[in-house]
Amino acid sequence: MTRIGVYVCHCGLNIAGVVDVEKVAEYAKGLPDVVVARHYTYMCSEPGQRMIQDDIKAENLDRIVIATCSPRMHEETFRRAVAEAGLNPYLTEIVNLREHVSWAHTHEPEKATEKAKALVRMGVARVRLLEPLEKRKVSVEKSVLVVGGGIAGIQASLDLANAGFKVYLVEKAPSIGGRMSQLDKTFPTLDCSACILTPKMVDVAKHRNITLLTNAEVANVKGFVGNYEVSILKKPRYVDAKRCVGCELCTRVCPVKVPDKFNENLSEKRAIAIYSAHAVPKIAIINPDYCLRVKFNEGVCGKCQDACEAEAINFEDKPETVQIKVGGIVLAVGSEVFNAAQMAELGYGRFKNVISSIEFERISDASGPTGGKILTPKDNKVPKMIVFIQCVGSRDKRFHEYCCRVGCMVTLKQAILAREKIHENVRVYVCYIDLRAFGKGYEEFYRRARDMDIDFIAGIPSEVHCAADGSLYFDVYDNGTNKLLEVHADLVVLGTGAVPNSDLGNISALFHASRSADGFLLEAHPKLRPLESAMGGVFLAGACQGPKDIPDTVAQASGAAAKAIDLLSSGEIELEPLKAVVDKDLCSGCRICESLCPFIAIEMKPEIVAGNEKFRAEVIEAMCQGCGLCSAACPTGAIKIQQYSNRQVLTQVQAALAEAEAKGGN
Amino acid sequence: MKTAVFWGCRILTGQYAYEMSLREVLPRLDIELVELRESNCCGDPIKSVNDFTANYLAARVLALANLTGLDNLLVPCNRCHFTISEARNIIKENAKTGQKIKDLLKEEGLEYNPNIKVWHTIDLLHDLVGLEKIKKTVAKPLKGLKVATHTGCQIIRYSDLGRVDDAENPRKLDELIQAIGTETVDYAQKLDCCGAALMHSHPDSALSLAGSKLKAVQGLTVDGMVVSCPDCQLMFDAKQKDAGTTVGAKLNVPVVYYTQLLGLALGIDQKSLGLDLNQSPVEQLITRISV
Amino acid sequence: MSMAKPNLEAREKILAKLRGKELANCFQCIKCTSGCTALKLLELKPHEIIKLVNLGFVDELPSSDIIWTCVTCLKCVQRCPQKASPYHVIMALRNIAVEKEAKVPEGYFKAVSQILETGLAEAAQKCVTRKMEAVDRQNLKLPKVRPPKESFQVVFMKAMEEK
Repeated sequence: MTRIGVYVCHCGLNIAGVVDVEKVAEYAKGLPDVVVARHYTYMCSEPGQRMIQDDIKAENLDRIVIATCSPRMHEETFRRAVAEAGLNPYLTEIVNLREHVSWAHTHEPEKATEKAKALVRMGVARVRLLEPLEKRKVSVEKSVLVVGGGIAGIQASLDLANAGFKVYLVEKAPSIGGRMSQLDKTFPTLDCSACILTPKMVDVAKHRNITLLTNAEVANVKGFVGNYEVSILKKPRYVDAKRCVGCELCTRVCPVKVPDKFNENLSEKRAIAIYSAHAVPKIAIINPDYCLRVKFNEGVCGKCQDACEAEAINFEDKPETVQIKVGGIVLAVGSEVFNAAQMAELGYGRFKNVISSIEFERISDASGPTGGKILTPKDNKVPKMIVFIQCVGSRDKRFHEYCCRVGCMVTLKQAILAREKIHENVRVYVCYIDLRAFGKGYEEFYRRARDMDIDFIAGIPSEVHCAADGSLYFDVYDNGTNKLLEVHADLVVLGTGAVPNSDLGNISALFHASRSADGFLLEAHPKLRPLESAMGGVFLAGACQGPKDIPDTVAQASGAAAKAIDLLSSGEIELEPLKAVVDKDLCSGCRICESLCPFIAIEMKPEIVAGNEKFRAEVIEAMCQGCGLCSAACPTGAIKIQQYSNRQVLTQVQAALAEAEAKGGN
Repeated sequence: MKTAVFWGCRILTGQYAYEMSLREVLPRLDIELVELRESNCCGDPIKSVNDFTANYLAARVLALANLTGLDNLLVPCNRCHFTISEARNIIKENAKTGQKIKDLLKEEGLEYNPNIKVWHTIDLLHDLVGLEKIKKTVAKPLKGLKVATHTGCQIIRYSDLGRVDDAENPRKLDELIQAIGTETVDYAQKLDCCGAALMHSHPDSALSLAGSKLKAVQGLTVDGMVVSCPDCQLMFDAKQKDAGTTVGAKLNVPVVYYTQLLGLALGIDQKSLGLDLNQSPVEQLITRISV
Repeated sequence: MSMAKPNLEAREKILAKLRGKELANCFQCIKCTSGCTALKLLELKPHEIIKLVNLGFVDELPSSDIIWTCVTCLKCVQRCPQKASPYHVIMALRNIAVEKEAKVPEGYFKAVSQILETGLAEAAQKCVTRKMEAVDRQNLKLPKVRPPKESFQVVFMKAMEEK
């Protein structure tokens, strides 16, 4: 005989404000096998939990029903409480009287109470059929793959490595450093970006727990949380990393010019060169799309090989695949910059002196195309009038609806740098919609800009034109003075916002990491779990989850590392038992479940049965998320989800209909 | 290929050269025009008075096109093209309004057909006929000429509605002109409006807008300006003198319909193309054509 | 300076005329006004009209002159980052002006009566060539214009009853 305890929570007024919880408890007492039925203000509180525990012991309860808020809130809490009282935690059933009743039917209290009674009746019917289950432990690899070598990936890697974990840091560019290495100064302190970044880059390169794989990309991911098998494709450098000393003699003799990607194509470099000013590793790389020898393979050129005293050039270099096993993955793949050519009315792409914010950054940087002098790209002159236009590509239903978060701060910084470098010989205007200076020291930074004679126009222009002499002009209406300004500028800088990487679709598929509506990677919960994706063991850090500044990026990276450490540090993880399970005797080997499983959690294993080879489905428990697709599709009923067998589900349906049937109604 | 044609009000009552030149050039490109049983205004001027009636009028045009049994309708006027395109969209998105309009049409035994493809002169020639065919059919390319194009507003905006050309960088009229051997130029005022809509209420401002653009074009090294809408032609050509007075400039800009230029390239005589009717000094342009 | 009082009922009437409620999304970026063709000559400020409607200050707009200054170039519709479409708001205000019998430029009523009479919004004109000859459709051998059947007048008037 089952002995069931039913507990109805008031949830303050959240439930009790609509549902007559006393009546529901009374009703529950009348249901078969229910020995105890109580109601209480906050079941999840200490006294509430103790109430259940005392009853389990005193009344010998062997099944518990708790009618309260969503199981997503406190199911774990209640399971733990029940386990502490000596009862198997999987003999507990949560009935949702909040999200499913009081919040959905706030204006119909009587009907809500009837529904609450029905749901409790269903919960009691189901709990009778639940079976005791145990969590299983699985051992995990104490190593982590970090994808992306920008500041997010670098910070996460260092935190993990310092905690004693093995880290594989994979970066698709020839050097780590990412976006931050392209910056001149950083707001609001105007620290030199390279100065604060390069020590960390060197730490990464030297750390004995970090294996750095640059010019490499993740090709394939298999396995499950704690036990991932990853293959990484190392693209050929055509330069032997062990021999190259970074002297750059090869670059000096190379005859082929290529656009310099690190300088946002504002300058050219050679087909063999070191990727960026403070590259780590400082090893040359050949661009195979331009190098004559690699492209045509006919013994042409080869001047770099002749010049290299370290004999490091290898035109025969091939791609290499590296296989690794890791317990967790941190995605830190960063973001791209909006291509303002999509907003053709502003002239980007048509007029050379209309540039994006990242292009201004390269111009301002001492290691950039102009040696740090602010010069216009078209005619290399010092501008006398610079105008910044905000929100290009952001806050715009035609392109990206989100606010890019850092655009205002970037522009303030660049405006201040322009003033500092050109002094009083330049007028600086910022055309804005709203000026957002939200962080620590940011509002003060905005005031600093106003102190420096930087003028702010409350309004943005509709179109930008170019005069015959190459100067730019446009009209903009200022909302403060109610005047239409006719602006003539030498340099127009567009506040182009961060956008999701163009290859994020690929990353998303590789790692099963979903994307949110704005295109960035989706966190497990927008407020309470911002550092992990919904996929177990995959963590998110930096701009790939949403545009952010350096302090937030570093914080998130350290947080993601801590999450990974949390997951893997004990060397094993517990798996929830609410997974699919196969009754081999019923399995016909039809493979329908295998083809449907979105988590690749089903394998077909061969077995010899009566002399014949048969295939039987087998569930990889660590991958299974208990979604139930297989169970619904299985034609023989061989595969089912623990606690969700047909009986266990249908009994609830029968209980739901029971009173209606008794009344003779529909 | 046969296509129904809806001329709209301005062409039928005053901008005869557009009709004449279209009637001349299209047959030579294997396009046969089929008249509608009757003509009503597309509803453009009524939008300011009663939006519902305006949409009804536009729907009536489509219903008349439906009577021809043809899949295509040519609408050479920019404003008519926009009005009809918007009306179609409104009827699709608002079931109530759509039903009311369809009921009104039924009272005259007319049936609304949303599936008729609506063309403007520019995309009919550029996309349906094609640049290659035009190049092949052109007997004497008009070499030695350079012109500024004015595509106009209502066939390039707003993009969400699906328009004839790109809103920020319309190129089709330029390419059509290049296909007949003439050069085109880019200029800052290319997307500026002719001002025609203000003639009802603020004629001076309308003329000022037209005059400013003409002044800018006059400052370019071009032989003339090419348009494809009867309202734009009215402002830049017929009202050029008044526009000049308004902006205090002596304007001498030849302004022609694209179809007139195309007609010349096809070897058609000036009179048949309505070139006598242009008020701007078109002889200036014609003499520049290299023999 | 007098205190302004919003008229939310009248605002709802305007919103009902517009297909979407996206004019509420306007965040005053001022791009529409910066690029408005009618700004320099006639001081039309689309952003101001949108904000007046959004806040409910709609009593004076239908009888104002400003709503008749729009050139219908559609640049504001094309470029607005929030799809608030000032042009459509202005057209709705014009319809209300007509309903309220406020001042409406004559030309629009002329178009209505012309359409009733001939089906077209304009009367046929003679054109003068550069050689000073007056010509009409007949002279130019263009086909006769076919006016709509009589039934059109009845239905047209019916349509005009619809608000």
